[in-house]
Order: sequence, then C-alpha cells, then structure tokens
Amino acid sequence: MTIPTLAAIGAGIVTLGAGLGIGKLAASAMDGMARQPEAAGKIQGAMLIAAALIEGVALFGAVVCLMSIKG
Amino acid sequence: MNALIAAGTEYTSTTKDGKLLEYIMGHVQKGYHFMGATLPDWLPNQVLAMMIVSVILIVLFGVLYKKNQKVPTGVTNFLEVFVLFVRNEITIANLGEKDGRKWAPLFCNFFFFVLGCNLLGLIPGSATATGNVNVTAGLAAITLLSMTVGVMVVNGPKQWFMAFVPHGVPLPVLFLLTPLEILGLAVKAVALMIRLFANMMAGHIVLFSLIGLVYVLGNVALPFAGVSLAVYGLELFVAFLQAYIFTYLSAMFLGSVLHPAH
Repeated sequence: MTIPTLAAIGAGIVTLGAGLGIGKLAASAMDGMARQPEAAGKIQGAMLIAAALIEGVALFGAVVCLMSIKG
Repeated sequence: MNALIAAGTEYTSTTKDGKLLEYIMGHVQKGYHFMGATLPDWLPNQVLAMMIVSVILIVLFGVLYKKNQKVPTGVTNFLEVFVLFVRNEITIANLGEKDGRKWAPLFCNFFFFVLGCNLLGLIPGSATATGNVNVTAGLAAITLLSMTVGVMVVNGPKQWFMAFVPHGVPLPVLFLLTPLEILGLAVKAVALMIRLFANMMAGHIVLFSLIGLVYVLGNVALPFAGVSLAVYGLELFVAFLQAYIFTYLSAMFLGSVLHPAH
C-alpha cells in the first residue's frame, strides 16, 4: 500500500464521483429536452456549464492525487 | 518519443514505466525544450508559448482586424463571430447592457488568451501555458482584483460590502453568513485557477500516457494510437469549453458583486 498505489485508487474514486454526477445531470437534461424540444438550446447551454463545474470539482481531487505522487 | 528511445541516458529510472513517467512529467511541466530546440535559462517553454500567443493575438486583432468596415469580410468576419459571442452571451447577459459593453474588452481578452494558449499547447512539440498553475493564478488574480478593487472603485466600499449581506435573515445569522460570503470570493478565484490548470494538465497527461502505452507494451498496444486520436479530439473540445467556462464564470462572479441580486 505505497503512496502511488493509494493515489491511483484515489484517482479512480474521483472518476467514479464525476461519472455519477455528470450522468445524473445528463439524464435530467435529456428528460427536459424530450419533454419540451423548443427549450433544447437553453437546456443544452446550461447542461454544458454545469458539466464543466462538476468536472472542475472532480479535477480538484485529481490534482491532489497527482501532487501526492510527485511532491 | 524518439528522444526517449534513442538516448535514454538522461533519465534516472531503469524500467520502461519509470522512463515514461519521467518523460511525461518533463514534458507537462516547465521545461526548456520547444519544438526540438533548447531554450536559454531565462526562457522556459511556457513563457515562450505565451509570447507567441500574444504576438498572434496582436497581429490578428491589431493589424488584420479592420474596424471601419460597414460589412465585415474575411478575417474580420471570422473573428467577429467570437467577439460578438463573448460580448452578447457572456458580458451583456451577466453584467447588463451598459456595464457589459464597458467590461467587454477584459472578457474578450480572457477568452482569446485562454483559447490561444490552450490551442497552441495541442501542437506536438510545444508547451501549454495554461497548464502551469502560475499562469492560471495570474488570470484568476485579475478576476479577484476586479471583484474587489474594481467594484470598490465603481460602487464605493460600503456598497461593495452590502453586496455580501443577504436580505431577510435575522441578525445573528448575518454575523455567520457575511464572513462566509467574503470567504467565497477567495474560494471562487481559487476554483477558477485550479479548474483551468487541472483540465489542461490532466488532459495532456492522459494523452501522453496513452501514446506512451505503445512504447511500454510494444506492438500489441498499437490500437491505442487510435484511442489517443479520440482523446486528442476531446482535448480540442475541452480547450474551447474551458476558455468559455473561465470567461463565463468570471463574468458571472463579477456580475454578482457589481449588481447584487439581494
């Protein structure tokens, strides 16, 4: 259980969190676009912004994993 | 990769995985190689990439962009699409009509600088300037300064402070909420910095790792060249998306301090 091994496991868990979060977001966006196709453009824009924010949080964790390997 | 295979003497590790890790870390962080040339001590490769992006932007917007045309043609027409997108969808949507036009040059600068640095880093052999945390820290510091000093100059210090005091809450809760809101300023700037830096650096690490699988595993890993092409396309999309997200979030944060909703 060296530090690089734990860092790799941590990075995998981070990916789990990001996948769950963005998957739920995409499911709601698809539902919304199916119910009301006129609002599809706005929903798509908001979905992209929210996906980037969630991915930002996931990448905080990834940065911590990377920094624990190197320094 | 040829340099790795040909002369592996400058790397201290003995296994192929170790050499690959050193290659990746040497090429993603600050170094002194750019397109095969060795740079002097005072010019890291990311600084040279920033200088190249600045020269390209000055030539595109200063020299080639003709301002006095009624109907834009050519390069002006192509750049006008992006400039109008930034001005209408990002600044005027978040800051209002009058302030949006006044602050639009700053956000155009953010958008085109981040986009230029991201795209230049995707060319094989060159460096990603926004993949260095200090560059993104500088950009986030500009946003932080505009949220504090810029708004204080325009609105006055008392009005700036009133933006962090929500309405309709009892007084004891206010003593807890207001420092949290002011701390939120610093947290937002740090989040901007880390989001852009981590997206750029992680993307390049993934790309190098996938190509490096061919070096480590040999012939059986050749399909990974196709996978890395797909990841390269994703990196292209992420370059545009992160430039847009940085500009949009900076405009949104500035709008919430300049024109408080509560």
